Amino acid sequence: MSDNKFFQYLSELYEFRFVLQQLVRQQLILRYRRTVFGYFWTLLNPLLMMSVTAIVFSTIFKMDLKTYAIFLFAGMIPFAFFSTSVTQSGQSLIGNEGLIKKVYIPKLIFPLGISVALLIDSVLTATALFIIILAIGGNLTLALFFIPVGYVLLFLFSFGIALVMTISTVYFRDLQHVVGIFMQALLFLTPVFYKPEALQGKVAWVIALNPLTQFVELFRMPIYLGVFPEASTVLKAGFLSVLSLAVGLWFFRRHEHRVAFRL
Amino acid sequence: MTKIIVDDLSLKFRAYHEGATSAKEYFANLFRTTKRAKYSDFWALQNLSFSIRDGERVGIVGRNGAGKSTLLKTICRIYEPSAGKVTVHGRIAPLLEIGAGFHPEFTGRENIYFNGTILGYRKEQLRAIEQEIISFAELEEFIDTPVKYYSTGMYMRLAFSLATTVDPDILVLDELFAGGDATFVKRGKERMYNMIDRASVMILVSHDQSLLRSLCERFIWLDHGKIVADGDVSVLDRYAAS
Repeated sequence: MSDNKFFQYLSELYEFRFVLQQLVRQQLILRYRRTVFGYFWTLLNPLLMMSVTAIVFSTIFKMDLKTYAIFLFAGMIPFAFFSTSVTQSGQSLIGNEGLIKKVYIPKLIFPLGISVALLIDSVLTATALFIIILAIGGNLTLALFFIPVGYVLLFLFSFGIALVMTISTVYFRDLQHVVGIFMQALLFLTPVFYKPEALQGKVAWVIALNPLTQFVELFRMPIYLGVFPEASTVLKAGFLSVLSLAVGLWFFRRHEHRVAFRL
Repeated sequence: MTKIIVDDLSLKFRAYHEGATSAKEYFANLFRTTKRAKYSDFWALQNLSFSIRDGERVGIVGRNGAGKSTLLKTICRIYEPSAGKVTVHGRIAPLLEIGAGFHPEFTGRENIYFNGTILGYRKEQLRAIEQEIISFAELEEFIDTPVKYYSTGMYMRLAFSLATTVDPDILVLDELFAGGDATFVKRGKERMYNMIDRASVMILVSHDQSLLRSLCERFIWLDHGKIVADGDVSVLDRYAAS
């Protein structure tokens, strides 16, 4: 019975796939419409940010700039995707209030649209970064074939949490601000700028428990070291993704029908 | 064939007294011993039961706040019933309130596609009717301009032409709308009636008695979320006399 219901839910989503497609387009086009560089900003912005960060931290850590830049890029890609998709999904229902109150659309479409658009952004940025990495002396390895798998796991994990955020923000609007601060803290508590082993002592457990550590490794191993991630990392990340998605979907479906009254 | 079955439908609204709760207030309230009532429940619809068959043209009447629009929204699945059930056979076309789904930064053409997909059209279908929508709205010149630069009249014409192209099974109308200059209103009415003719079921909420009389043959009179009467034009007469 409940399986059947879930199947209905999915088939309904499928019926609305063109709406999803339009939402994604809207997301991608709108941001930089009528700007001179257009979509190029999507690429330029993270590239500039990461370059500055790479210069500063490679100096602090006394590391070779090129090596550190590749190290940082590889960690920044998964973190940035997670952070933006969780943060922006909070606006997905609030921003479409007018539509939700006028016409029936499965509400999952809205956070999904944002996540898919950000995924496209992220893949494009990663590609641009990778071209730069190659130019400054990175290697093309077979391990890079793992990146799509990494993206799938990262997407599912982030989307699950984004779903919880989407609903929660409708009830507590303060969350939009809280999540921004939280992400800032999380950036420093995730081994993005440094190696996981580097944070020793009292806070080492944060790195060990931080789910994002696994996802950063999924990208860093192939891009930085040119090897496939360890099986244990992949298993942990896979488990976290499934868990996050299951909790997210459960939470979303439980609350979505009341959202129209609270917007 | 029965198209819509409303079975013992009730809908509860919760009115919150202080707007949006913030997380801070929420947690502060967790520790408060004497709890103030922060919301009051309000039954917008109470135990409604009726069914609508193929070919029926139903007008819903009642005073402001009687629950007419809420009932429409529940039939369109925007609101989930608090109790009871609504079963709908066939495709419902809600008439988006003028331009509800329009995005100001998008051009008229892009909005046709965005709104069209929401109304259930596929891209190929939209490509086929696109030209007709544009020419009916008399917007050939401005169709590739972002709609935020449109005049109110242009905006309304586009929204109206788009909304009235739908080929719905079940048509749900909340207060007939019309916009633009006199000639457009006249052409608009014609187009509206054509659309109503194509639908197998039409439900209309309106305060306009003559319009209701000309378009509907069955009337449901709501008051305070309950059905007062359901029947032929005599119901409308009684409502009008009350």
